Amino acid sequence: MKALTANRLADGEVVFWTGDVWSERFVDSRLFDDNAEAEAAEAHAKSNIVELVDPYLIDVAAVDGGVVPVSYRERLRALGPTNKPDHGKQAVGGADTALLATAHGAARSKGRVDLIRRK
Amino acid sequence: MPRLIRWRDGAAAWGEDALTAVDDDQPVPHGDVLVSLALFQRERRSLLGQGRNLGVIMGPTDEPESLVVDLPGLSVVALTFPKFRDGRAYSAARVLRERLGFKGELRAVGDVLLDMSVPLIRCGFDAFVPADASVPEQWTASASRFRHVYQRAADGRPPAFAERNDLSAVRV
Amino acid sequence: MYRYDEIDREVLADRVAEFREQCDRRLSGAMTEDQFKPLRLMNGLYLQLHAYMLRVAIPYGALNSAQLRVLANIARTYDRGYGHFTTRTNIQFHWIKLRDAPDILRDLAEVGLHAIQTSGNCIRNLTADPHAGATADEVDDPRIWAEAIRQWSTFHPEFSYLPRKFKIAVTAAAKDRAAIRIYDVGLRLHRDADDALSFEVRVGGGLGRLPHLSPVIRERLPVRHLLSYMQAILRVYNRHGRRDNIHKARIKILVASLGAAEFARQVEAEWELTDKAAIDLPPTELARIRATFARTGFETLPAISTVFEAAKADDRAFARFARNNVMPHKQPGYALVNVSLKAIGETPGDASAEQMEVVADLAERFSLDEARVTYEQNLLLPHVRLDDLPEVHRVLAAAGLATPNITLISDIIACPGLDYCALANARAIPIAQDIARRFADPALAERVGELKIKISGCINACGHHHVGHIGILGVDKKGEEFYQLTLGGSAEADAALGHVLGPALAADRVAPAIDQIVEVYLRERRDGERFIDTFNRAGLAPFKEVVYAPAH
Repeated sequence: MKALTANRLADGEVVFWTGDVWSERFVDSRLFDDNAEAEAAEAHAKSNIVELVDPYLIDVAAVDGGVVPVSYRERLRALGPTNKPDHGKQAVGGADTALLATAHGAARSKGRVDLIRRK
Repeated sequence: MPRLIRWRDGAAAWGEDALTAVDDDQPVPHGDVLVSLALFQRERRSLLGQGRNLGVIMGPTDEPESLVVDLPGLSVVALTFPKFRDGRAYSAARVLRERLGFKGELRAVGDVLLDMSVPLIRCGFDAFVPADASVPEQWTASASRFRHVYQRAADGRPPAFAERNDLSAVRV
Repeated sequence: MYRYDEIDREVLADRVAEFREQCDRRLSGAMTEDQFKPLRLMNGLYLQLHAYMLRVAIPYGALNSAQLRVLANIARTYDRGYGHFTTRTNIQFHWIKLRDAPDILRDLAEVGLHAIQTSGNCIRNLTADPHAGATADEVDDPRIWAEAIRQWSTFHPEFSYLPRKFKIAVTAAAKDRAAIRIYDVGLRLHRDADDALSFEVRVGGGLGRLPHLSPVIRERLPVRHLLSYMQAILRVYNRHGRRDNIHKARIKILVASLGAAEFARQVEAEWELTDKAAIDLPPTELARIRATFARTGFETLPAISTVFEAAKADDRAFARFARNNVMPHKQPGYALVNVSLKAIGETPGDASAEQMEVVADLAERFSLDEARVTYEQNLLLPHVRLDDLPEVHRVLAAAGLATPNITLISDIIACPGLDYCALANARAIPIAQDIARRFADPALAERVGELKIKISGCINACGHHHVGHIGILGVDKKGEEFYQLTLGGSAEADAALGHVLGPALAADRVAPAIDQIVEVYLRERRDGERFIDTFNRAGLAPFKEVVYAPAH
């Protein structure tokens, strides 16, 4: 399963594709079971150069009654830095934050490989 | 005739490239030609001394020092930027201008972008074949943006320390 | 301190205008990200995990109170109220918006600060001894020479597209407080028998994937030829450094593959042909720069302060602070005061806007308007009267800036790691927090003594892990955070690269392992030995045995 993420150009905020708009919350993500559909959405996002920087697909998985990004890095992007619990998306709290913060079972995803190359 | 941008007296303008580029495996035609360093070295005798305008195009690993005795006979030296991030040609340009005294046209070819205008001109280039569809007006504006420089290079601009020395009026 | 003149200010103004136009072109869609990225990086603007990060240069770590206040104001206005001081004596803001970046650069330029050359394959912001101008063990003020290099290297037309980034460190003291052996170029000033000043020039140090300590390539370089010699070094590197493999593109690889002697020969040959008079600064300009660093504000004071001595006798916490954070000054009656950014449980190197303002006020009132940043991610007040130390301590303590742990086990270097950085493999900050909490008791930390722990979240080694007495490197094992420990590194005069202790440990095993290593040290140490001395005598084996003992 995949989700589509990017950073917003003007302020750098991490955003997720809902199928209609870009949301700041991972929980709003459109989940793609179909790779071709996911890649089509990614290609469309890449053409949106005025709003977005570096859109890419991430691997997500169902755990504990919800869905979270597979890689630890992507969970941090969806939450914020662990040394400042009051900064980033985690500051809002809620069940989706709790699930992201406690999920286990990290593994590599294609998304993180792309991230390593970027600055 | 292909166009290029020439830099003269603080302004950029379109110019014409009068040289015909010749591949290494082609016979060299009569007239004004641009050849690789390898071809030049192989056919040096026949290329020089025919009263034509001759240019040599150098790759990033070619040593400008290898041209030292022939420079007075060359009207153009072209230095290649395989990528804009590959800065070897800046050193080659300064060696050609400041050390070997090359007075002809120093041309930047390859991945040559508008944002390189300042270092190119400061290192002694005076002709550019831009890869980004930029135009002379943009080059003039971009190259003139900074009112001061901090170091001497091949363009003769007085650096900040010379300005300070000359103008005791620089306000602190 | 160096003061910008009209020329320096106009250079910054031109740069700010240029970047504003580039940002506008990007935000309007006239430029793609691929076109814009190299331009924003040249202004120190990265895209990190959560937002943009702006890296502001602090040349040779020197700040005045006005500059600190502007940094505080940027933290408060454009970021989330804090900044992170780095091992390169820069400050990084982690929550920057692209649309604010031109205004931030404008605010910085008003006090002579900028983000020029804080990224990219160019000559980066240079570092120097943070005790410059205050320590008795220096032969000259290294900031004079650092400032000369700063100007020469700014927008250098020949060296803006090097094979890889290029970092320079300068010291003039016997004790190395600038880690010069891990720099691309490390310069140490000497005063020779005839009173002439010269540089010992080292080239080819660096950490990262292939760590090297730099060899000397010239024993004595007359100081007046500094810039022409730098040009020769950079030109040899620019022409011959590798560009085919990013991991082998630093000058350390060129120096190692040619050998120091052959590299030196090539530099000397290039330098012989250089028109030195055109490149080197004229004596008038050197004198102008030198004059800006001349300190005239010192009072004539007795070497011993009764106020200071009485306060130490009365207040044990102050006495501990004085033992660990206060260092001798060349001027009788003065001291250097280290401001610890390593409060127990906090993020190493972070300072809040309020803390920056506290240090700015103290610098203005008590330290001749000067503050410094050290590569160990602390701040420093270089010129404090001994009589003022109790008041300075009181104000620092109230702001959480007086942790008495300089060079002790909780004075940990840590890069931002995976909490912020797009390059990291693992987090560094929580590891540092875990370790520091175990040594929160200041008496215990003092009993352990000098012990430098350095943590990097990836092999790029921004946290200098190779040269930590204990180095900790975050690695990725199948998507989980693991940490490799090294022992025996040093960044100082006895510079050495650490030895790998054994297989990487899971995150929750790291702090307990540090406990075990410290226990072995306390058991094995002989009179007065620091951790590094015990390690150098006893070797890896006793430590390895305990950390990797089978669990009972």
